[in-house]
Order: sequence, then structure tokens, then C-alpha cells
Amino acid sequence: MNYTKQIQDIASKLFTEGKIDIFIGYQQNSFDDNQVPVLITDPAEIPKLVFSDKSVFNLTNYLKFEHTKNKRVGLVVKGCDSRSLNLLLTEKQVKRENLYVIGVCCEGVTDDNGAKAKNCEVCVMPDPVVYDEILGNPSGKKPYRVDPDVAEVAKMPLVERADYFEEIFQNCIRCNACRHSCPLCYCSKCCIDQETSTLYNGSNTVSSAVHALLTWSMHLAGRCVDCRNCEKACPSHLPLHLLHKQNEKVIFENFQEHLSGMIADDRGAFYKYNQKDPDDFIM
Amino acid sequence: MARVGVFVCFCGANIADFVDVPAVVEEVKKIREVKYAVYYKYMCSDPGQQIIKDAIAQYRLTSVVVAACSPRMHEKTFRRAVSEAGLNPYLLEIANIREHSSWVHQKNKKAATEKAGDLIRMAVAKSIANEQLHEISVPVTKRALVIGGGIAGIQAALDIADAHIPVVLVERSPSIGGRMAQLDETFPTLDCSQCILTPKMVDVASHPYIELIPYSEVIGLEGYVGNYKAKIKKKASYVNFSLCTGCGACTQKCPVKVPNEFNMGIDKRKAIYTPFPQAVPNKPVIDAEHCNMLLKGKCGICSKVCEKGAIDYTMKDEVIEREIGAVVVATGYDLWDPKPYEEYGVGRFKDVITSLEFERMVSASGPTGGLPIRPSDGKVPKTVVFIKCIGSRDEAKGIEYCSKICCMYTAKHAILLHHKVHDSRAYVFYMDVRAAGKGYEEFVKRAQVETGTTYLRGRVSKIYKMGDKLMVRGEDAQLGQVVEIEADMVVLATAIIPYKTNPALARLLGISYDKYGYLSEAHPKLRPVETAKAGIFLAGCTQAPKDIPDTVAQASACAAKVCGIFSGDALKKDPMISVVNPDYCSGCQNCVQVCPYQAITTEEIPITRGSKETRTVAKINEGVCQGCGSCAAVCRSMAISLKGFTDSQIINEIVSI
Repeated sequence: MNYTKQIQDIASKLFTEGKIDIFIGYQQNSFDDNQVPVLITDPAEIPKLVFSDKSVFNLTNYLKFEHTKNKRVGLVVKGCDSRSLNLLLTEKQVKRENLYVIGVCCEGVTDDNGAKAKNCEVCVMPDPVVYDEILGNPSGKKPYRVDPDVAEVAKMPLVERADYFEEIFQNCIRCNACRHSCPLCYCSKCCIDQETSTLYNGSNTVSSAVHALLTWSMHLAGRCVDCRNCEKACPSHLPLHLLHKQNEKVIFENFQEHLSGMIADDRGAFYKYNQKDPDDFIM
Repeated sequence: MARVGVFVCFCGANIADFVDVPAVVEEVKKIREVKYAVYYKYMCSDPGQQIIKDAIAQYRLTSVVVAACSPRMHEKTFRRAVSEAGLNPYLLEIANIREHSSWVHQKNKKAATEKAGDLIRMAVAKSIANEQLHEISVPVTKRALVIGGGIAGIQAALDIADAHIPVVLVERSPSIGGRMAQLDETFPTLDCSQCILTPKMVDVASHPYIELIPYSEVIGLEGYVGNYKAKIKKKASYVNFSLCTGCGACTQKCPVKVPNEFNMGIDKRKAIYTPFPQAVPNKPVIDAEHCNMLLKGKCGICSKVCEKGAIDYTMKDEVIEREIGAVVVATGYDLWDPKPYEEYGVGRFKDVITSLEFERMVSASGPTGGLPIRPSDGKVPKTVVFIKCIGSRDEAKGIEYCSKICCMYTAKHAILLHHKVHDSRAYVFYMDVRAAGKGYEEFVKRAQVETGTTYLRGRVSKIYKMGDKLMVRGEDAQLGQVVEIEADMVVLATAIIPYKTNPALARLLGISYDKYGYLSEAHPKLRPVETAKAGIFLAGCTQAPKDIPDTVAQASACAAKVCGIFSGDALKKDPMISVVNPDYCSGCQNCVQVCPYQAITTEEIPITRGSKETRTVAKINEGVCQGCGSCAAVCRSMAISLKGFTDSQIINEIVSI
């Protein structure tokens, strides 16, 4: 999977035609063979752009910041990234007419060690669902599979599971990098930062981490597209996908096999009513 | 520092028998913010309220907790008391220790007492975060919309208009009158339906406060109580009503014949027609689906014979708007199609007819001039079998509920048959005779005794043909044997069902409907004419099956409610509604999606003060918001909060126990 040439060509064409102000893509890291996102405003920098199976980050995250707001932006999306873009469009955070989207039919990205990334193993949609131009050959929607890590954790006895999560939450340093890196965490003032109750004291304690991370995961329930930007950003290497994938499983099983961001104008299971929605939890 | 007063009620023995009230009061006194706690036998009584008022002054209370019955019972009483003592009425909290504790835990006094303590603790914690709220004042457009021109709509419109309030009456068919216009005589007094209805119809047409819009439908309703805007589609009638004199020349000369729906298809009407002789307005309309001129461009006879030149084939549907303050929905009922009763030969045997077809036949203005005849050969039937509960109370083929009026109209039909055909004999197969109503039981007796109608308790299993007779085989459950009756005609008392268009109408109006499609009232007993949406009321069979007296009573009740809304120049509204903090709103519009009242719109605000760039934020219409809190629940950035139920109040409650 190498589209460096095509993406460079498209980017330079967009700049010469004056269609975009900013292009968001990937560039080679200076100290290892990994890649980092790059925002290009000067066409002279186009040769920096690369795309390979090391292009792991979800670039739609950069649409929420001030310097891309209300600008015309070109960007590269993979299958999962395009799903988060779909949600950003649905939730009116970006305007479709401001975007030029290059969709890549993803063949799976690799992690730091060169192995296939874990989220790609359970990927349901490698092809872009929103794009202006498509690269590669679509391979179609894949059947939904329960995340193996989630299945593993579910097997643990309750007490052991509680200990396991407590250890995870203990290692959280409340830096909010997960929130910052998530494309769908765009609120101007996060609810966690408004919290004044005794349930959450903002300090670096387990209860604060539990409160913050569980609230965060509930706000992403039915929306998370499993791009794992949060895990890549986490300095403590917490397995945050356990929270999101568990929510995804519950929602898939209970809300008509709902998967987030697959179609336009779909806000997710929590924000629409369907007569088939389960109500057995109501007494 | 908050200073809370707690007032615990015995409610006679209702609470005191199952909750140790003095112990609860002692427990509550230990809470730091509670400066005064007391119990009394009836807090809602005048002396009880006086205790609260005195304590507010004496202990300089900043909020009040009353532990008593459900807030639905006495919240208003206590708010008034608190407000009379000079405190903002929304600084009152009710702890419901009756319905939520004493009544449900009657077998365990200790636990009930503990729970009562917890409920009061929560209310105290919540009340500390209570804020002063003030009633919202909403201006009112004093004009009512009545949807449906049957007897319910007519009655409601007349009663409202008689109070000098303008009414817009929208009727979907060319004439008002509705189902009642189709009836011959009415139970239990046997007065002629049209004789008592048509004066009211004429009153509607000539009333200075009523704007009658026939042949039209409501296609949109925006706004909120006191300030609705209705969109009404006037269907093209192809007749200019202001020129037409109603002479009837066009209907006489029209060559196209169509089954007459007013007479249940027994006879034919023309493609240009007035539904019935006493129609109001008495102007014809062209049925575009059958008119040769409109379909093929050939004919034009009506235009030629019309001396006034009132026919206009180029007329188009027109959408008009009316600003109104309240709505009465009176769309009436439809009849259940008895097709599933194949064993009764529905559709196969012409002489198996429905009750409304029989009604049209015995009507003097009907297709047979008031004489019942067999559709198969035009002979007058001598033996008629009436079968009740066709579709009603039938979970297998029809609907579960009782249609309420069939017992009575079947008795009426038996009497009418006897009046029209003196040597006839009527049999009624019934499941039960439900004749609850003034003079109803006597009326059924009259059918049984005076006219000699044979009432047979049991169901009919089969109807088959023998020669030109219908053989009705059924069970007489009281004798425990099978009976077979040689009948000339069979009349099926088909069930009342709501119109299929009801759910769409409900969604358009923003009100709820039940599983059958009847529109739902706000409370089955205490708010039977209101809907959950303020300013929209229900009259007649659109809410549930009803007879004429009940329908008229409900329509008048609607009128009283509408007049109540319009009694002042502004409406007072509960301030416990949602509010948006635009600074925190990220404009995702989830709230717009989930709001069941369409109370949330968006607005553009500058990114910073004076900036030209804007961003989108949610905006709540105070008049429409009912304070359900759905928006506050889905708002991830907590930009929306529900006044009176803010996050800090709820968290205080949770933390307190």
C-alpha cells in the first residue's frame, strides 16, 4: 500500500487549481521509519507527503482545531478515518463543501513494531465511506467480529476484572491526550472540565480517572470508529480500546447491528429512536 | 449558607401508620443545613400551611422541603404558601414519602422510615442548589383551529365562537357534518339525526366568528401554545365558491357516475357533486379523479351549463397560513373493513351488509328513500339478522377494544326495521349488551319488548346461501344449542377504528397516539381532553370510540379549555425548562434531533464579541419547551441544563445518600 506519488499529484493539482488552503497528510518521521501528520499550506512542501502502511493516524482529528476551521481543506482518509469524518459531517462540525477528501482503500496499517495493527484485525470497513477521489480497489464491508481483547477480559472473573481495570485506571495520569487526539472530542468545553461535584476532583486519583474515562467512553459510545488515535497518544499506553470496543459490542448486539459513521446523517444509537430498541432495562 | 426548613406530613394515617414520622424529623434535624424541622397531621391544611409560612419568617429559611404526598397532588398548594411567605416558589422541594415510601412499604415500617429519611435528605440536598425561577409570560394569538367538521368539530367551533373568539374550522370533505350527517335517527330518543345536526351546520356557516375552510387539510403546524402557525392545503374544488349559487345544474348534467361514498356506495353520484342535499357549504366540487374534462380534456358540460361561470378547470391546490393560539383535533372515526370474516360471506353475498349501509338505507334521504331493501334483488327483507362485535373485542381478526356504540345502534336498527317494515322480524346475535348511559338500558328493552327482537347470546359460526335466503348458523349459548335462522339480510355491526391518517396527523401536530392509532389524551381520568402538548385538545372519536352525547360533551370541554387559554393576554408558563449556555455549545445539534416538541432551533453567534465570523449554537424556544430534559441528557458538553433539575442539584441528591 503505497500512494505517495498519487497523493502528491492530487495535492499539487488542488493547490494549483486553488481549491484548497490547507492539505493534511503524512510525512516521514525524522528519527525512525514511522510517520507523523503534516499540515501543508505551501505547495513547495508537497514533496514531504508520503503514504504507506505506516500512515496510522486519523487525520480528521485536525479538522477540529482553529487553524482548519472555515478553511478549505484537502485530506487523506482511510476506511476508519472516513467514518469519523462522516460523524463530523453529521454533527455539523465541518462543512462538506470546504473539504476535498482523498479516500484510500486501506489494506491495513502496521504498528511500531511492523506487525499488522490490532484494530485492523477487527476492521469492518477498510474502504472510505466519504470521498471525492478514491485510491486503490474497494474490498467491501467485512463482517463484525468481537474484539479478541474484549472477549479475553470478559472471561475474567468479576473480582479479577475489577483489579485489572483498577490497575489500568491507576496508570492514567489525567493528561487528556486521549481526548485531544480523538477526532470526535471537539467540544469547546469538555464536561469533565466543568465538573465540580465531589465525584470528580480533577486530581490524579483512581476515582477521578474512572469518572473521566468512563464518561469519555460513554460520550463516544455508538460514535467511536476504532481509529485508536487515543491509544497512540496515551503516554501510559493504556488499552483504552477495551472501553470503546465493549460499548461497540453492546450497541451492535442491542441496537440493530449499529456501527458508527457507516452512513451519512446517522448520529448513532443514543441519539435516535427506533421502535425495535430494547426496553427490557425499564422496569 | 443555606437555611432549610423541613415539614413532614402525617397525611392522617397514610404516612404516619407506616413511617415513624417523629423519628424521621429527629434524624433530619441532624443535617447541617436544616435549621427547622417539624411534623404535622395535615401539612396541606390551612394551619399546616401557616406553620410553613411562620417558620420561613421566624427562621429566615432560604429553601423549604415538604415531605408529604406526590408533587402532582400538592406542589402547587405549597408553592403558593411559600410564595405568600415571600420566598420564591421554586425554592420549594417535595419529598414524596407517601407514594414512594409509606404506601409501597406497608409491611416494613423500619425500612419505610429509613427510606423516608433518605428521600428527605435527598430533597434537602437538592433544595440547597435550587435557584430562584420566575414564571414565563407568553403572548397569545386569540384564534382557535378546529380540525374536522363532524359533530365534535362543529360543537367545539360553535362554543368557542360564541365566546367571541375567532375559529378556523378545517374540514377535509366538501361539506361539514361528518358521520352524524349519515345517520338516520339517533339513540336513545330516536330523534332525526339530520334534523338536530343541520341547524348547527347552518350556524357554523353563518357565524361571524367562524371561518369555515371546507375541502382542505392541515399540512403543517409550527410554534407553541398561544402562538401556532398552521399551514392549510385547500384542495382544488374547480368551482369558484364566491360565484357559485349552488343551483345544481352542473350536477344534474354531469355525465360521469361514481359510487357515492356518502351513501356507502349503494348508489351513484356525479363527478361534480354536493355530498348531500343539506351540505354546508352547499356548493359542488369536482372529483378530479373521475372528471372527464380534467382527465381527458373532453366534456366541459358543467362549465357550459353554469350561468355564473363558476367552473374553473385550471384551479390548483392552494396553501394558506393562519396564526392561531390553540387547536381542537376532531377528526372522527373510520369503519373497520369486515373482509376477514370470510365465513359470513363478506364480499360474496350481496345481502350481508354493514351497519352504516343499513343506516343509509333506512334514512329518508338515503339511496332507497328510507326503505331497507336487499341489494341482490331489491326486495324488502322480512327477516334480518344483526351480528354485533364484528371486529370489536376480537383479538384474532379485529381489535381488542369495545367500540362502545354498536350495542346501542343495533338496538336502534332493530327498532327502525320494525318501523319501516311492520311485519319484519329481527334477530340480534350478541356477546354482551353494553347499555350504560342515560336511557340506554330502557332503549334496549324497548327493542326487545316493543318490537319483539330476539336477542341470542352467542357467535355466528357460518353464513351460507340457500336459494335466495341466507342461512345464519350460530350458537345460542343460553340454551346451549346450535340455531339456524333463515334470513333475508344480515347486518354486521362493524367496529369503530381511527382513521389511518391519524398517526401522520399526530406526528405533524407533535402529539402522541396509541397502538391503534387513536390520539392520546394527557391523562385518562383527570386530563381527558388535553394532549401532552399544551394548547392541543381532542374531541370525539379521534381519541376513543364515543357516542354523540359524549362527543358533544367532550367538544364543549375542549371549547372551555380553549377559552381558558385565551382568557388573558399572556400565558403563564412553568419556568422549569431547558436553557443553553452558548459558550459551551459546540453545535452538534443532537438536542435538535431528540427534542420531541421541536422546541430547539439553531442560531448563529459571533465567535468572539464583535467578530464577523460566526458559529452555530442551539437555541431553545421558551414557549415550546416542556422541560422533559431529553436535550440536557444528550448534551455531551453540558451546555444545556434543565432549570429546576440542574446537574448540580441531581449530583447533590446522589451524593447525599
